[in-house]
Amino acid sequence: MTRQDFRIVGQSVKRADVLEKVTGEGLYTGDYAPAGLLHGKIKRSEIAHARIVRIDASKALALPGVKAVLTHADVPRVLHYGSPHPRSASCTRDQYILDDKVRFWGEGVAAVAAISEEIADEALDLIEVEYEPLPAVCDIDAAQVPGAPLIHGVGPGGNLVIPPVHVERGNVEKGFAEADLILEGTFEGGRPVPTYMEPNVCIADWDGSNKLTFWTSTQSSFMVRGALAEVLGLPLNKVRVLVDHMGGGFGAKQDLFQHEFLCALLAKQTRRPVKMEFTRRETFVAGRSRHPFRLWLRQGFRKDGTLVARDMKLVFESGAYGSHSPGVTNVGTASATSLYACENVRLNGRAVYTNTPIAGAYRGYGVVQTYFAIDIQMDEAAERLGVDPAELKLKNAVRDGDIAPSGHPIIGDGLPACIREGITRFDWAAKRAQPREHPTNPAIRRGWGIGCEMHGSSAYPGIKEQGNATVKMNEDGSVTLLTGAAGLGTGAHTALAQIVAEELGVAFESVSVVHGDTDVVPWDIGAFASHTTYLVGSAAKMAAAKVRASVLRRGAERLQARVEDVDLVDGRVFLTANPEQGITVHEAMGPSRGIPAEHLIETASYMPTKSYSFAAHFVEVAVDTETGLVEVKHVLPVHDIGKVIHPIAAQGQIEGGIQQGIGHTLTEDYVIDRTNGRSLNAGLVDYKMPLSMDMPHIETVILEAAPDPGGPWGAKGVGEDPIIAIGPAIANAIHDAIGVRFHHYPITPEDVLKGLRAKEETTNAGL
Amino acid sequence: MRRFEYHEPGTLAEASDLLTGLGEGTFLLAGGTDLLVEIRERLRRVHHLVNIKRITDLDAVTLDGEGLRFGALVTAGTLERHPEVARLYPNLWAGLRSLGSIQVRNRATVVGNICRASPSADTIPPLVADGAEIETWAPNGGRRIALADFFTGPGRSVLAPGEIATGIRVPPPATGSGRAYIKHGRRRAMELATVGVAVSLETADGRCTAARIALGAVGPTVLRAPGAEAILTGSRLEAGIVAAAAEQAMLECTPISNVRSSANYRRDMVGVLTRRAVTLALEAAA
Repeated sequence: MTRQDFRIVGQSVKRADVLEKVTGEGLYTGDYAPAGLLHGKIKRSEIAHARIVRIDASKALALPGVKAVLTHADVPRVLHYGSPHPRSASCTRDQYILDDKVRFWGEGVAAVAAISEEIADEALDLIEVEYEPLPAVCDIDAAQVPGAPLIHGVGPGGNLVIPPVHVERGNVEKGFAEADLILEGTFEGGRPVPTYMEPNVCIADWDGSNKLTFWTSTQSSFMVRGALAEVLGLPLNKVRVLVDHMGGGFGAKQDLFQHEFLCALLAKQTRRPVKMEFTRRETFVAGRSRHPFRLWLRQGFRKDGTLVARDMKLVFESGAYGSHSPGVTNVGTASATSLYACENVRLNGRAVYTNTPIAGAYRGYGVVQTYFAIDIQMDEAAERLGVDPAELKLKNAVRDGDIAPSGHPIIGDGLPACIREGITRFDWAAKRAQPREHPTNPAIRRGWGIGCEMHGSSAYPGIKEQGNATVKMNEDGSVTLLTGAAGLGTGAHTALAQIVAEELGVAFESVSVVHGDTDVVPWDIGAFASHTTYLVGSAAKMAAAKVRASVLRRGAERLQARVEDVDLVDGRVFLTANPEQGITVHEAMGPSRGIPAEHLIETASYMPTKSYSFAAHFVEVAVDTETGLVEVKHVLPVHDIGKVIHPIAAQGQIEGGIQQGIGHTLTEDYVIDRTNGRSLNAGLVDYKMPLSMDMPHIETVILEAAPDPGGPWGAKGVGEDPIIAIGPAIANAIHDAIGVRFHHYPITPEDVLKGLRAKEETTNAGL
Repeated sequence: MRRFEYHEPGTLAEASDLLTGLGEGTFLLAGGTDLLVEIRERLRRVHHLVNIKRITDLDAVTLDGEGLRFGALVTAGTLERHPEVARLYPNLWAGLRSLGSIQVRNRATVVGNICRASPSADTIPPLVADGAEIETWAPNGGRRIALADFFTGPGRSVLAPGEIATGIRVPPPATGSGRAYIKHGRRRAMELATVGVAVSLETADGRCTAARIALGAVGPTVLRAPGAEAILTGSRLEAGIVAAAAEQAMLECTPISNVRSSANYRRDMVGVLTRRAVTLALEAAA
């Protein structure tokens, strides 16, 4: 697991795709334009819940340039899932490609293919739809009242997506009986969406043998293949899914979307390739958001700060379809067993349907919501107990051997290490000893806060994952890695190539990566759950090790030495005892003196269990007490991610997560009118994500404190972690600045002013 | 995006003919930073676009004893980078700097920002507070209209069919005058104002001799606050007077509630920003 002489791993090597990207040569799905391409568009409902009484496409079909229109009467009626994880027990079959019912404002009711995007767009207005309105339930309360209108006829009853999740450890009542301080609160969160740069896009093309070629911007091409094949009734080898570069996904591009089925069917009907590309607006209306939630939390503490009991009831809003709600509910609920160790926990989680846009997977997957609540309440406990919040968090932080949400023992003291390092680097005590008043501006108050998190580097036990890799060594010593893992833009393929080069003993530049073609690369479950480096990296390392053994064998043969007497470093096989005497890998692999050249191919599969990464974020905020504007001034994130493969890529992940987390906490919320289910800000004008100029000073610290034996050289995931701790850290810092507690996100300027006024009234009443 | 016809007239007369002749759904295109997005996002039904960028003599900037004049094709970026604009009209400069992003400002024209007639446009409050005028061309003769009288509602102005805005004139800053614009938004770029307040003051012997306050995004058009201006005019601008004027401005605005903010919060911000803007303008006048 540990090794002293890393040559490539741990170096921020130049990303293999950097030139393609900066020169604009790199191809994204939307760049492909097969001959004869048609453009597809979706007609979307303007009502949240209704039965379609009549749908008439005749006028649209009559528009010159329109080649096909599909309504629910024209498509296969197959009940399918939106979150296509065939190895997961928890996906929910509740969707049709098109139904005679609509369940949210913006759901597709028909699709058009035309010779231009403009004509397709015009045809949408010519499709006539007559609805019989049904009562809509647009929030979790309305959805849960007895007798509430049912959105689906499937599921365990009422508007529940899955049976409620219940997790119990120890004895909660006994725990509360031992408590000196009991805190109780209700927490809520809005509807952030992963505003990836590249809107969803796909192209479908059928050939003469009835084979579908499907380009799509997806994190999980094999899941797309599986769902398309199942719903369209094709064998897997008749669906070829292709994805090259991607402009982000953040979890949401794991689903199988309505437009992907429709694109394939339009192409089939017209016998021409069809492209469908979301507008930015559609990425909101028809994309996937984080689950809005309400969480009731009660925790008991001893006087000395020991956490003794935790009782939690959590409700996630799934929107109109189940998508990732089963996974999010399980993960979000189980995560409350941990972070701050507690022997007595009773946790209830549920997900409910509402007539609103679909919530799905988004970086942080249920854990963002749960740890927002738990960490803030921990801060409150510190305040009530009169102790420093960082010290209280350190005291209760999960440690080596504690049982993780997955049921495994935690490996190492990653979280305590992060908190300790941050206390020192941030100069926490000295900062908090400063006055909260701004030195020159009386309207500003300053505050400092800490938030903590942990996150698994795989979806286990929810999904039994399998990482696969094929490593080929060519006869000139160059190496090709074949992987099914998608490249969302994170640099995953660079990290995988580094792992292969390191394990093999060749230069990073001699390894190239082939990915994104389901007919060619090994099966992959998808790039999600912070697991690519951990899981696929391990498989790549195993395959590389097999190739290395063969190279050593051939090299030894050439050197007329025993295999145990030779070594392979920097692309050279040599005698361990006499490094001067050696040959290049090229020489070892090529033909010589009657020995033919050899082409090595090795494949490895890896079934992981679970590891956890940890972080503590330290934050300074400035609050304008007259406008309520909160500015995040400084963030010091400390992350333990085990062995670091590519430091700059890891740092980029952390900074990006912080940017999105600041957005969640202060500005980002996709707002639905709760009276009728309409979207109020489906676009980047009024959905406000922070931009480069809004970013604070970030001082990233990465520790290798708790390597995990399941990852390559102890590497763990980092993708999701940074979005989790920043939220509570900001909320806690705001409290530190102005003495007002917020139990929700986003915390708007208006909320801040209301909070300050309420506090003033309470103070005045007390006088 | 839906189909539209594209036209490229060479003169104002041709452009004007196209505007009147092509009928409903005909729009002038200059920078296009707003219009093209609206077309793409299906927010505006456009049948004809009339690009005026081929028309000559609309891109001049002059700054002399008569003040500042700039033509309809002058971009926000050009004015922003004009060193004298930053020095003499820091209020307008603040408005320009907060419009979109650097890339947007290099395409967007200031006259386009004005003619879009959005109550939240960043360039309008400073220009209204400075007493700017808009110049137009029309087949039977153009006119000069006080910018404060130009707008009739969100997206609407007094421009007659076929009349084209050709430029803006801003009076020279008087001695002892000061000006400021403060925008309230949630981020530093690519942001529409939740509220914008511009204040221009003229002072003599420590007294305010004239005050103009323009309030953005708190009414159907950018509003003046005459009551608040009257409180300031003639006073020595003591803190109490400034606070009273700010409270008066809160009464004079007519904000609405929407997804960006509630009406009450906007009203509160008119108070805070008016006080802050008057204080900044006063410092600049001193």
